Amino acid sequence: MTVQLKRPSSLRHFVTPVAVVAVLAVVFAWVATLDLDSIEARTLNAGYLIDRTREHLVLTVVSSALVAVLAIPTAVLAHRVRSRVVRAIVVTLGNIGQATPAVGVVILLAIVWQTGFTTALVSLVAYCFLPVLRNTLTGLEQVDAATREAARGMGMTPNQVLWRIELPLASPVILAGLRTALVFSVGVATIATFINAGGLGDMIVNGLKLQRFSVLLVGAVLVAAIAVLIDWAAGLVEDRVRPRGL
Amino acid sequence: MPRNTSALLCAIAASALVLSACSGSTSTGEGSSKGDELKGLTGQIGSKDFAEQYILAHLTTKLLNAHGATLEANTKLVGSANVRQALENKQFVGYWEYTGTSWITYNKQTQPLKEAKAQFDAVKTADAAKGIEWVAPAPFNNTYTFAIRSDKAKELGVTKMSQIAKLPADQKTFCIESEFSTRDDGWPGVSSTYGFDAPKDNVKLLDTGVIYTATKDGKDCNFGEVFATDGRIASLGLTVLEDDKAFFPIYQGGFTLQAQALKDHPKIADVLAPLSAKLTTDEMQKLNAKVDVDGDEPDKVAEDWLTEQGLI
Repeated sequence: MTVQLKRPSSLRHFVTPVAVVAVLAVVFAWVATLDLDSIEARTLNAGYLIDRTREHLVLTVVSSALVAVLAIPTAVLAHRVRSRVVRAIVVTLGNIGQATPAVGVVILLAIVWQTGFTTALVSLVAYCFLPVLRNTLTGLEQVDAATREAARGMGMTPNQVLWRIELPLASPVILAGLRTALVFSVGVATIATFINAGGLGDMIVNGLKLQRFSVLLVGAVLVAAIAVLIDWAAGLVEDRVRPRGL
Repeated sequence: MPRNTSALLCAIAASALVLSACSGSTSTGEGSSKGDELKGLTGQIGSKDFAEQYILAHLTTKLLNAHGATLEANTKLVGSANVRQALENKQFVGYWEYTGTSWITYNKQTQPLKEAKAQFDAVKTADAAKGIEWVAPAPFNNTYTFAIRSDKAKELGVTKMSQIAKLPADQKTFCIESEFSTRDDGWPGVSSTYGFDAPKDNVKLLDTGVIYTATKDGKDCNFGEVFATDGRIASLGLTVLEDDKAFFPIYQGGFTLQAQALKDHPKIADVLAPLSAKLTTDEMQKLNAKVDVDGDEPDKVAEDWLTEQGLI
């Protein structure tokens, strides 16, 4: 007996963005009622907000794309090699990337190498590498051995097995990993402020150091809003890309 | 539960208690070698989270204890705002603050006063209304300033900030930190007062600590925003430029304390006065360098200096 999975109704698709927009509207309405002093006025204006948000989004999206391009093939290779040692090394490297405090990594790199966007990008990629790597490996491993054997039995080459059977079957888990990495990177991208790479971290640090809570709040709410929206968008993509019947 | 496990858990709990008692950067004074006028003054002296503040907290604690107090220094808090909050909540007896900081950050003023005494008096009045008193203003001024690596300073021929405007555009590169970038008494004000006219890309936003190394390297910027009493300026071979238009606010150091504590022990001001008098910007730089560059313990640096100066 097959289980018919219900596709989420299109109405449910819109709950998240509507909620986010509502929260943002409330926050901005509140800011509009405030009497901003000169320090707050420098950050709580449209131009500044748009610039910082754009920088933040660019950093997040580019780092996630890079992570996908680097981590998924690495995981596929590690899976193919079938050597426990290689797998262990790869996963350990990923662990180190995520466990090492991102702030420390970004500043060390800034001092040893250079400041700016590229350094922030490298740190973010290192940080988000693990979820994608681990999920891809797990996804590939959980593919039923019998299914694989059946595919080989049908005359498929290993590559064909990978592309037509293993990856599609593993895709829910892989996409979940990518989604996690995306949401991580939104939050961690706030550290870019320390090395001249812009982003909403500028607002948060500014508001914190100068005790201007309106600035701090707007910065933090914007980061959270972006994270939720990106997660929602990734969820939509996941729904579309997931093969039917899974 | 088996006896062995519960015994083990007891041992772990006991050792955790002992270890936590041993840890922490607190120090108590040694005894009232110089007098007894502050007998009964007890509590904690707080500090912010950088070398100068640790040194000042220990200096104050040891000096006051030498006059009969039983205080200890608590250097565990992070962030100016938190230390100030602790003082307002009466968790600390007092701590060293800067006139500019209190004026701008805690009293939310956007225009600093140009003259040291005027600024000190203004902030004293403002804070007195909040139950916080200022005593023993010291000569040192831990203000913002721009530094440049010494060899480049000679090459460009700059000694004053007013000379920066005339430099070619590609030499007008700056490293500043987040707070400085939006404060009236920071980048917006200084760049318009001195007419820097630096292209937007030439101004880089970095973390405070990274600015020192970036200025020394010279790759990212020629001019770095630094603090005047920092020990790293001399040790990294940086030269500080003169603020010839007197733009930056004055961050004079002074001891802030609970109004009640001062009322109960008015001699605090007299005891601290000789200490403050000796703390010039140069002297603070030297003390800070001992901690930041040489790696000495602030506690010991304070003790040695006070002994050397004959104050304890």
